[in-house]
Amino acid sequence: MGKRRQQVRLVGLALALALVAAACGGGGNEPSTSGQQAAPERGGVLRTAISDFGFTNGFDPTGEYVAVAIDLYGAMERTLMGYKHVAGPPGNQVVPDLASAPPEVSSDGLKYTFKLKPGVKWAPPLNRDVTSKDVAYAFQRINAAPLVAQYGFWYYGVIKGMNGKAKTADEPVSGIETPDNQTIIFNLEKPTGSFLYRLSMPAAAPIPQEVAKCFTKAGDYGRYVMSNASYMIQGADKLDISSCSAMKPISGFDPSKSLTLVRNPNYDQATDDTRSNFVDAITVTVDTNVDDIFSRIQAGDLDSSISDQPPKPVLQQYLTDAAKKPFLHSNSGDRTWYITMNWAVPPFDDLHVRKAANWVMDKAGILQAWGGTTFGDIASHNIPPIVLDDKLGPDYNPYPSEGNRGDEAKAKEEMKQSKYDTNKDGVCDAKECSNLVMINRNTPTFADSEAVVVSSLNKIGIKVKPRELASSAAYTTIQTVKNRIPIALNAGWGKDFADAVSFVVPLFDSRSIIPTGNTNYPLQGLTPDQAKTLGIPYPSGVTIPSVDADIDACQKIPAEQKDQSTQCYADIDKKLMEEDVPWVPYLWAKNITVTGNTVTKWEFDQFSGYLSFTQMAVNNKQPVPS
Amino acid sequence: MWRYIVRRLLWVVVVLLVVTSITYVVFFVMPSTDPAVTFAGKNPTPEQIEEVRHQFGLDKPVPVQYLTFIRHVFLGDQYGWPGLGFSYSTRSPVKDQFFGRVLVTAQLAFGAALIWLAIGIPIGIISAIRSRTFTDRASMGIALFFVAAPVFWLGLMGLWLFWYKLRWSPGTGYVGWDKSFTGWLSHMALPWIVLAMLYAAFYARMVRGNMIETMGQDYIRTARVKGLSERRVIFKHGLRASLTPVVTLIGLDLGALLGGAVITETVFNLQGIGQWAVNSVFQGDLPVVLAVTVVVAIAVTMMNLIVDIVYAYLDPRVRYN
Repeated sequence: MGKRRQQVRLVGLALALALVAAACGGGGNEPSTSGQQAAPERGGVLRTAISDFGFTNGFDPTGEYVAVAIDLYGAMERTLMGYKHVAGPPGNQVVPDLASAPPEVSSDGLKYTFKLKPGVKWAPPLNRDVTSKDVAYAFQRINAAPLVAQYGFWYYGVIKGMNGKAKTADEPVSGIETPDNQTIIFNLEKPTGSFLYRLSMPAAAPIPQEVAKCFTKAGDYGRYVMSNASYMIQGADKLDISSCSAMKPISGFDPSKSLTLVRNPNYDQATDDTRSNFVDAITVTVDTNVDDIFSRIQAGDLDSSISDQPPKPVLQQYLTDAAKKPFLHSNSGDRTWYITMNWAVPPFDDLHVRKAANWVMDKAGILQAWGGTTFGDIASHNIPPIVLDDKLGPDYNPYPSEGNRGDEAKAKEEMKQSKYDTNKDGVCDAKECSNLVMINRNTPTFADSEAVVVSSLNKIGIKVKPRELASSAAYTTIQTVKNRIPIALNAGWGKDFADAVSFVVPLFDSRSIIPTGNTNYPLQGLTPDQAKTLGIPYPSGVTIPSVDADIDACQKIPAEQKDQSTQCYADIDKKLMEEDVPWVPYLWAKNITVTGNTVTKWEFDQFSGYLSFTQMAVNNKQPVPS
Repeated sequence: MWRYIVRRLLWVVVVLLVVTSITYVVFFVMPSTDPAVTFAGKNPTPEQIEEVRHQFGLDKPVPVQYLTFIRHVFLGDQYGWPGLGFSYSTRSPVKDQFFGRVLVTAQLAFGAALIWLAIGIPIGIISAIRSRTFTDRASMGIALFFVAAPVFWLGLMGLWLFWYKLRWSPGTGYVGWDKSFTGWLSHMALPWIVLAMLYAAFYARMVRGNMIETMGQDYIRTARVKGLSERRVIFKHGLRASLTPVVTLIGLDLGALLGGAVITETVFNLQGIGQWAVNSVFQGDLPVVLAVTVVVAIAVTMMNLIVDIVYAYLDPRVRYN
C-alpha cells in the first residue's frame, strides 16, 4: 500500500512540477464581458494579432498590395491625397493629406499641380522635411521594372513617361516635374477621372531616396520602410543610413513574427486632421492559430483582431451573448464574392446557360453557409453598392427570387432557350453540361457553400465536379487561361480604391487578359486573335462582347464630375448583369473585427477595409514594448 | 566504430540528396501554385511575372535550380553558410528566421521528451512489476486514454482549464529565455506537458510490455537465484534490456519532432519550423519548404545514428566493428 502511494505521488509530483512552472507568470483578467467605454484616452498599446501577414512584396510600399499592409501604411505613410480613416462612405472619399489642398487641374484634365504641406517630416534617422522629390522618387520606383510595382498598372500609360520598363529607380519620369521642394506636377497621357484615387495608393507615398536607393529588387525595402506619418517601425531611429552596407533590418519588424509601430517623434499633429493617434504603440503579432487570436482577445491579452474572421463557434458566442455583442464589428469590405463562368468553355459560351445559372442560384443558402448576414449581404450585381454610391438602387436585382433562394422555374425557362437543352425541358442534356470542373477553396466557408452551388446548378442539369484547393493554388489555377476552367466558386475582388474603375478594368477589360495571372476570369471581350495567342479555342458561333469602349468612356469623365462617372460605371455593371452575364455575384462581403473590453474607441478604415489604427483608443495602460 | 560513424555520415549526405530531389520534383511536377504569379500581385503584367520569376531564379531549368540549391547548402550563398536561400514571402534570407524557429521547436521537443521519459518509463516499470494489480490497470487505462486523445484536443482542453479557467498558465505564445526565464518556462510548460502526455502513454505501455517479457527471461531467474536484490535485478538486468527498443523509439520520435510538432506549435502559437513549413507549402515558398526538408532529413538520420551508437553500449551483443 505504502509503495503504491509512493508511485502515485511520483506521477503526481511530475505533473505538479510542470504545472507549477506553468503557474509562474500566470494571472490576469477574466474574459471580457463588459461594454466599451465612451471616452477615448491617449496612451497604451493597441495589441493585435494576425494569422499571417501574407505580404506579397515584403511590405515594400512600391510593390505591396495586401490590404493589411495598406491598413498599416495608413499609420506610417502620407500620400498627396489620403483618407479620413473612418467607416462608411466618408472613409472612401479622398481628401488632401500630404497635399495642402486639392490640386490645380488644367482645363484639359492633363496637368495636376500639387503643393505639399509644410512641416511634414520624416521620422528618425532622416529627420528632414518631406519634399516633392520624395514623391517623384516613389513614382520612379513604381516605374522601375526590377521593383515589380504591383499597382503599377494604375499609372502606366496614364502619367507621361510611365510604362514600368525603366531599368532602375534612378531614371526620372518625364511626366513628373518638381519645380521646388513643395511643388509637384503630374502630366497625364489622357484625362483620368480617378487620378486622385490612384494617388492615394501607398505606392504613391513619398520614399526617401537616400535609404531606398540601396534596395533595388522587389520587396527588399520592406524591412527598412521610413515613416512620415504618426507611427514608425520600432527601432527605425537606430537605422544606420551612413551607407548601404551599414543598414541592417529594422528591429521592430520580423515578417514571420511581428511588427511593432511606435510614435514618430517628428510627426506634427497640426499638419494632419485625418489621424487621431490615441495609442503610444501598435503591435501586430503573428498567431497562426485563428481560434487562439479570439481566445486571447477574450482573455485580455489582445485588444483586437485585424483581418482574421472569427470561426463560426466564436461568432455564435458573440451573436448570442448580449454582453459580447458590442465587441463584434461588421463593416462593408467593399468586396464581391462571385461565381465566374468562362465564356470560352461550353456550356458557358451560351448566354442562356449563364442567365439560367443566375436565376437558379440559392444565394440565401450560400449566405447561410458563410454564417449569415454578419458576413455579408446578398449581391444582386457585380460592383458593391458603396463603391457605386448605390447608383443602381437598393432594389436592383435582375434575377429576383423569393427569399433569394433561386427561381427554378425562371431558370428552366431560360435554359430552354439554350442550344445545350436539346429536348427543351429546361434541363441541360448536352454532354457539355456534365463533368464540369469547378474550382473552389478548401477553407470552411467555401467548402460549406459548395454543396449549395452544386445542388442549385444540378436543378438545370449543370453537373459540376468541385476541386478544392488552397487559396493561392485555386487562384493560380483559374488565373492560367490555358487551364480553361469552366466555372469557379473561389473568386472574389475587393476595391483597390473607392472608384469603380478598380473593379471594371482588372475584371472585365479585355486588355487585362494575360496568359498567367489573368484576373478577367470569364474572358470578357476576348477576341479570336487573343484566343489564338493564348492557345485556346474561340467558341464557335459566338462573339464575346466587349465593354472596353464603355470603360474608356467612363475613365475620361473628369474627377469633378464624380457623380456622372459613377453612373457611367453603374451602367456598365447593369449591362454586365443583364446582357453579358459573366458572373453569378452572390455576396458583398463584410469584414468582421472583434475587440476586447480594453478598447475605448473603435473605428473602421473603409479604404483599407480593416480597423483604423490611428483612430482607435485603449485603456490597457500597457507600456511601449522594449 | 569510427569507420561505421563516417560511413553513416556519408549516408546522411545521400539521404539528403534523395529527399531534396524528391521535394524538388514534387514541387515542379505537381505544383500547387506558381510562386511567380502569387508574388507578382493582384493584376500583374506579363513582364512583372517574368521579373519575379527571374528574381526568384525560377526562370532557370529545374535541374540547374536544384544543383544551385545543393551547392548553396554545402558551400553557402550570399547570406552565409549554410545557404538556405531567400524566402519568397518574407523577402528575407531563410537562415535569419530559420535558427530562431529551430530553437523553439528543439526546446519543445527536448523539453517534452524529458517529461515523457520521466513519466512514461517509471509508470511502465511500476506497471510491469505490479502486473495485473489495480495500479497496473489504472496506469494502463490512463495511458490508453492519452494514446487515444488527439493532441489538438488535449492542447485545447489544457488551455481551457489552465489558462482560461484556472489562470495558472499565461496562455499561448513564446517568450525567449533571454527575455524572461520564468516567462519562458511558464509559456513552454503546457505545450511540453500536452505533447509529453501523448508520448508518455506510448512509452509506458511499451516499457511495461518489454519489462514483463524481460522479467520472464532465464537470466533474470538466474540473477534472482544468485541472491541479487530485487532492485538490482530490475534496474541492472531487467530495465537495461527493456530500454533498447525505447532508445530506438526516442530517436525516431525526436527526429520527427525536430521537423516540427505542427499541431502543438499551432495550438500554442509557438513559432517553430513545423508551423512555418505548413504555411510555406500553402504559399508556395519553395526555399522555406526545402530548408525544413533538409533539417528534418538531417535530424532523423542523425538521431538514428545516435540511436545505433547508444545501442552498442546498451546491448553487449551489438558491435559495429
